[in-house]
Amino acid sequence: MFSLFYGLWKYMFSKTEFHVLILGIDKAGKTTLLEKIKSVYSNLEGLPPDRIVPTVGLNIARVEASNTKLVFWDLGGQLGLRSIWEKYYEEAHAVVYVIDAACPSRFEDSKSALEKVLRHEDLRGAPLLIIANKQDLSEAVSAEELAQYLDLKKLDERVYMFEAVSAYDGIGIKESVEWLVEVMERSKRTEMLRIRAGVTGAST
Amino acid sequence: MGIMFTRLFSSLFGNKDARILVLGLDNAGKTTILYRLHMGEVVSTIPTIGFNVETVQYNNIKFQVWDLGGQTSIRPYWRCYFPNTQAIIYVVDSSDTDRLVIAKEEFHAILEEEELRGAVVLIFANKQDLPGALDDAAVTEALELHKIKNRQWAIFKSSATKGEGLFEGLDWLSNTLKGGGS
Repeated sequence: MFSLFYGLWKYMFSKTEFHVLILGIDKAGKTTLLEKIKSVYSNLEGLPPDRIVPTVGLNIARVEASNTKLVFWDLGGQLGLRSIWEKYYEEAHAVVYVIDAACPSRFEDSKSALEKVLRHEDLRGAPLLIIANKQDLSEAVSAEELAQYLDLKKLDERVYMFEAVSAYDGIGIKESVEWLVEVMERSKRTEMLRIRAGVTGAST
Repeated sequence: MGIMFTRLFSSLFGNKDARILVLGLDNAGKTTILYRLHMGEVVSTIPTIGFNVETVQYNNIKFQVWDLGGQTSIRPYWRCYFPNTQAIIYVVDSSDTDRLVIAKEEFHAILEEEELRGAVVLIFANKQDLPGALDDAAVTEALELHKIKNRQWAIFKSSATKGEGLFEGLDWLSNTLKGGGS
């Protein structure tokens, strides 16, 4: 009986933990972004960019922002590693897609990888933040230019935004995280994930 | 390799005692990896409870090695070695495709251990020098690494006999531990 009430209490009052998936092709700056988020939002210092090596697995950041618990999952972006991305889709509340805005020769690669992500059933309704990264470089294109270039179809039914960011010096990080928290809090997908977690939680 | 290793791990844990478990099925190459790192003498002990634990003490970090799989009756004793574990290095023989299923099961079973919850995981897809060895992506798939969602992990191809890939893996490990782990 007690556990029943406890479960209900927990269900109603515990802070939701949001899972945010950071995706993008290799060298886009996903881990640099993750480490920057760590240093902006937690006491942890976060790795300096020159110590970051290509990810071949999973990096995690747990932070609290706007009174909400956020867990960021950063997965490796090399071609052979992209097959594991979809294994994390089901539990993700939102997706951050990172693009190196200073490297137009790989826009096409980025675009097709993103389109594949968006087609996946397990990510239906997940808010999408597309990051035009590396704004600290003079050759970087703006968020608007990148949006134009990507020319993504079928985004209209999904909440999305483009943001100009420099994961290197921190431009746009706060705006990005605040936007994510706001849209995740009122997204249908969050509701759906909450119900699903509640159902499985009660049966175990 | 030895000197680089010293540089990597010298100040990592301050004066705190730390433990890194090096685990895997028998014949995966765990001991060879430790020898390759030239950290010190590997001391083999067979306690009366009946399983063989190899230990390398490196400053304040204890590297402890034993084989997973086999007798289930001794497993409860493994727990003696769990406290203060910061990292698990899981070594897989990438050419032994017949036993990858067992390697997977043993791996996920050990990750269930409450006392190892905070440990980050480094996987060596070892024996890349042997014909028929699976690459890192294939080993990732076979070990179902995607099921790990609450701790950081990374996989590296390695050949312990040739000394390849080990430094890259340990570099990741030391960075990750410095960055606050999971």
